[in-house]
Amino acid sequence: MEKYVLIALFAPLVGSLFAGAYAMKPKRLITGIVTSALLFVSFISSLILLFYLLKTEEVVRVKLFDWITTGSLTIPFGFVADQVSVIMMVTVTLVSTLVHVYSIGYMEHDKGFNRFFSYLSAFVFSMLVLVMSDNFAGLFIGWEGVGLCSWLLIGFWYYKKDEPRDVNPSISPSWAANEAFIMNRIADLGMLIGLFIIYWHIGSLDYKIVFAHVNLLDIAVITMMGVFLFIGAMGKSAQFPLHTWLADAMEGPTPVSALIHAATMVTAGVYLVVRSFPIYSQIPNIGFYIAALGAFVAVFAASMALVNTDLKRIIAYSTLSQLGYMFVAAGLGAYWVALFHLMTHAFFKALLFLGAGNVMHAMNDELNIFKMGGLYKVMRWTAIFMIIASLALSGIYPFAGFFSKDKILEVAFDSQHYILWFMLWVGAGMTAFYSFRLIMLVFFGEERYKKYGFHPHEAHWYMLAAMAPLALLAIVAGFFEEPFEEFVTQLLPEYHVHIHGILAVALIGLTTLMALSGIGLAVYKYSHGGFSPKWKETFIYKLLYNQYYIPVLYEKLFIEPYKELSKIAWKELDLRIVDATVDFIAGIIYKSGFAGRVVQSGNLSKMLRWMVIGLLILLVLVIVYSPVR
Amino acid sequence: MNHILSLLVFFPALAAVLGFVVNKENIRVYGIAVAAIEFVLSLFLWFMFDPSNGGFQFVEFIPLIPDYGINYQLGVDGISLFIIILSTFITLIGLISLTIEKNIKNMIISLLFLEMTMVGVFVALDAIVFYVFWELSLVPMLYIIGYWGSELRIYAAIKFFLYTFFGSLIMLVGMLFLAYLYYLATGTISFSIPDWHRLILPYDYQFWLFLAFFMGMAIKVPMFPFHTWLPYAHGQAPTIGSVILAAVLLKMGTYGFVRFSLPIFPDASIALIGPIAILAVIMVIYTAMVAYAQEDMKQVIAYSSISHMGVIVLGTFAMNIEGIAGSIFLMISHGIVSGALFMLVGNIYDRKHTKKLSEFGGLAAVMPKYALIFGIMTMASVGLPLTIGFVGEFLSLMGFYKISPALTFLGGMSIILGAAYMLRLYKLTFFGPITKEENKKLPDLNWKELTSLIPLVIVVIWLGINPNPVLKPINKSVENLLTLMEKKAITPKAKEILSHNKVELEAK
Repeated sequence: MEKYVLIALFAPLVGSLFAGAYAMKPKRLITGIVTSALLFVSFISSLILLFYLLKTEEVVRVKLFDWITTGSLTIPFGFVADQVSVIMMVTVTLVSTLVHVYSIGYMEHDKGFNRFFSYLSAFVFSMLVLVMSDNFAGLFIGWEGVGLCSWLLIGFWYYKKDEPRDVNPSISPSWAANEAFIMNRIADLGMLIGLFIIYWHIGSLDYKIVFAHVNLLDIAVITMMGVFLFIGAMGKSAQFPLHTWLADAMEGPTPVSALIHAATMVTAGVYLVVRSFPIYSQIPNIGFYIAALGAFVAVFAASMALVNTDLKRIIAYSTLSQLGYMFVAAGLGAYWVALFHLMTHAFFKALLFLGAGNVMHAMNDELNIFKMGGLYKVMRWTAIFMIIASLALSGIYPFAGFFSKDKILEVAFDSQHYILWFMLWVGAGMTAFYSFRLIMLVFFGEERYKKYGFHPHEAHWYMLAAMAPLALLAIVAGFFEEPFEEFVTQLLPEYHVHIHGILAVALIGLTTLMALSGIGLAVYKYSHGGFSPKWKETFIYKLLYNQYYIPVLYEKLFIEPYKELSKIAWKELDLRIVDATVDFIAGIIYKSGFAGRVVQSGNLSKMLRWMVIGLLILLVLVIVYSPVR
Repeated sequence: MNHILSLLVFFPALAAVLGFVVNKENIRVYGIAVAAIEFVLSLFLWFMFDPSNGGFQFVEFIPLIPDYGINYQLGVDGISLFIIILSTFITLIGLISLTIEKNIKNMIISLLFLEMTMVGVFVALDAIVFYVFWELSLVPMLYIIGYWGSELRIYAAIKFFLYTFFGSLIMLVGMLFLAYLYYLATGTISFSIPDWHRLILPYDYQFWLFLAFFMGMAIKVPMFPFHTWLPYAHGQAPTIGSVILAAVLLKMGTYGFVRFSLPIFPDASIALIGPIAILAVIMVIYTAMVAYAQEDMKQVIAYSSISHMGVIVLGTFAMNIEGIAGSIFLMISHGIVSGALFMLVGNIYDRKHTKKLSEFGGLAAVMPKYALIFGIMTMASVGLPLTIGFVGEFLSLMGFYKISPALTFLGGMSIILGAAYMLRLYKLTFFGPITKEENKKLPDLNWKELTSLIPLVIVVIWLGINPNPVLKPINKSVENLLTLMEKKAITPKAKEILSHNKVELEAK
């Protein structure tokens, strides 16, 4: 079985290097085909591992060679395919294979075609390193690797210039790329500190050793570990207050948004918390804070999606919001539920984004949903796929989201965190509303695009074919809940929900009712001409539309002062004070030397006088220091 | 092979002297050939080196002035071995990439002479021999900056010379006094560093001598607030000067800490961890900020060098294997990466004769190979895992965490601020639309530039994935160093820190 682990892991790397070899050459279709094929190989290997694990329950481990050895630290390149990582592997490779195939069509006219596939496969490789490593350092390699690939891919259209912020609240791909990288680095520092704490208390970064020893430690130490690891998770999973990069990351090509900024990379934080459950289950207090933050983000992000007019940003906020749901489950100890929602979300969110990609293609990269409408007539399949994805996202039976999201609400209610439950419940309504607001504005109603002179068309058949499996999974994945639970709880702790019977049914009913009314409101309102423009004047609308003014706030509070401070540090401190002091001292020496030149003037009579003065001084010194009799 | 170290030291010097009779057309090939032979010799040294032995190897001993305990004594251990290889490697790469036309012969002779002094510093086991090479290294550098530099070259060269010379003189006084103390303790004078390692000094003497040595090292590193000579030197020096200055000469300072300060003054070193770490943290954060504000590509790299040296100092004063081994590894990796970055800046300077950031933008479209290599080095500089830059930074910070979590956190800001200034540099140079018409026709890297850069890229990735061949010999020698320090420690604080510098599993 070891060889399947290696094939699954390294096939994407091979693909990336292959495409990379053509990176500076004109488009070659072969790069897209080879990388997709290699990813499919990786997917098949992951599936084989999954079935092997299902059958034998034997965890597969592979060690390559030692990476860093010093003191008592030994970090090997070690990989593990256990119940959690194999689920992640299958999800990641499945979605990325489909996104690769889709991208062959999406990027067909882009001059960076080869480069794109090289980056995209490199991302998959990094992500697999992240989920397959058997130690925290290996996880960190993947962690930073996906950060790098995300930087490369957000900034893929690097040649675009910076736009001021208030035009279509966006900047430029390269700006967004740097923002994402630097913001993630802030979190990574937290993560590194977490690793240091683990190392100095346990002496290893290997999961097996760490998790076996963690309960021997002082609770304060475990708390610190949990907090700092979670800071790392907050960056990658874009939790408040490190969330702004995710919406700006929509500057990248849409397949990237589908794969990286929705389905896979941003779930790395959730994965980390799930993976470190032996740490977090020791510190339920911290778990509660994680859940509370998650619930907050779930509502906070959803509220921004309510009014946004940018097709991709709406979906990005929805991703943020769903990540919040996952953290609620993980924080409350229902690790398998978090992982389940992570998986189903990957399917329908990728589907939604790919659909958005089709719409953008049809509309010449227009993103404003108020310039669309009535696209159902020309893009029937895309519309159907996006409606399926939206139904799944809203949590309507029998779509996948119903099962996973409902479970999270049940967990929140069951653990008696009623406030969290209420927030998630409201969030569910908002989710349904903004999802169908988008569907209505894009696919139905008045054909506003004609005014702007667009000529939309349906996407290539193979792009739609690539979306079809995701659509299928968005419908049926929920029915695998029980086998999924049974499988992953071989590793993860079980979570028993105590509510049964009428209460459980009532809860499901309430949630479904909420979702349905959200959908109903959106469908009704937007089929009757939408909300009145007076809304746009209200404070609340402006607040939400400007993302609570947080990007502006960060700009004014951190970025600009940092720039100013740097300038001061350089021009005032470094040049005016530190360096000037050095030059001043040097100047004194120089000047005293210059002044002292009179004693060496070469004029005999003057020099004799100086000699006499010198003699006198010496005589005085002799008298002063002569020993007293 | 008993004299391989002498050969390593004097072969380039001898070749430099012979270089005077080589004619101008062939001098470049001659220089590269000599540097290549020297590099192969240093690789041979690594091959012959016994990694399981943490002590000094290939020791040579010729009495010079036996009455005063001054002897020609050379040797290498795991700590110096790789810095020697770094010196010969960077000299070779630098010579390959050399684009200077003006008086090329003198340049190559200076470089070969400089190579002798660099190797000499790292193999010397006698303080006087060490000091001689240490000071001699200033001379060719003075000449390189002062002759081939840009407008302010004389000011920069003299500032560099006098400033570092000033610190070194204080260090020399410290050395003389230390030899005298040795005389008081044993009855014979000795300048032998291994002898000094065995000497146990009272705390007061340690403290003042530590400060004397510190002056010499700190200015060389350069530590805040003694760093202001460096931006001038880098700003005015020709590319090759900056490459060698950043890659090797700065490492003399941090090497000095490991070779002299820690083992000879263990108690003072530990007592002063606090102030030094604070200086190092200021260095990391403050110069990273200054780097962010720069308008000139080269100055960004220059200030980033200071910032990274701060992390090295932190690692050195971590007093555990993880930190010290990490800091030595970081010396090597920073040498490679900063050398490469200065060369890359040199490449663009050769094309445009400017280093101003405002002159560039969108270069990724016209110079993709250049953008790729610059990107790899940028990522190595910000310490991305699987590049050479990560290992040392990670271990240095990890080591220092044992001493002070709070200061480690502040020192760790380097990973955030480092990304900020490097990505700003990268964005302004390579991203966005091409703003200047003349930049549209810039040629990409030629084969000569590629031959000098590709080996660096290979090293950056190879040692990033597999640092152990380098790390293991370092570990062994650092282990010896720490054992020695623990044996010598006299103050309770030093004993406490040195006996608890390993992982201890504490039960609840």
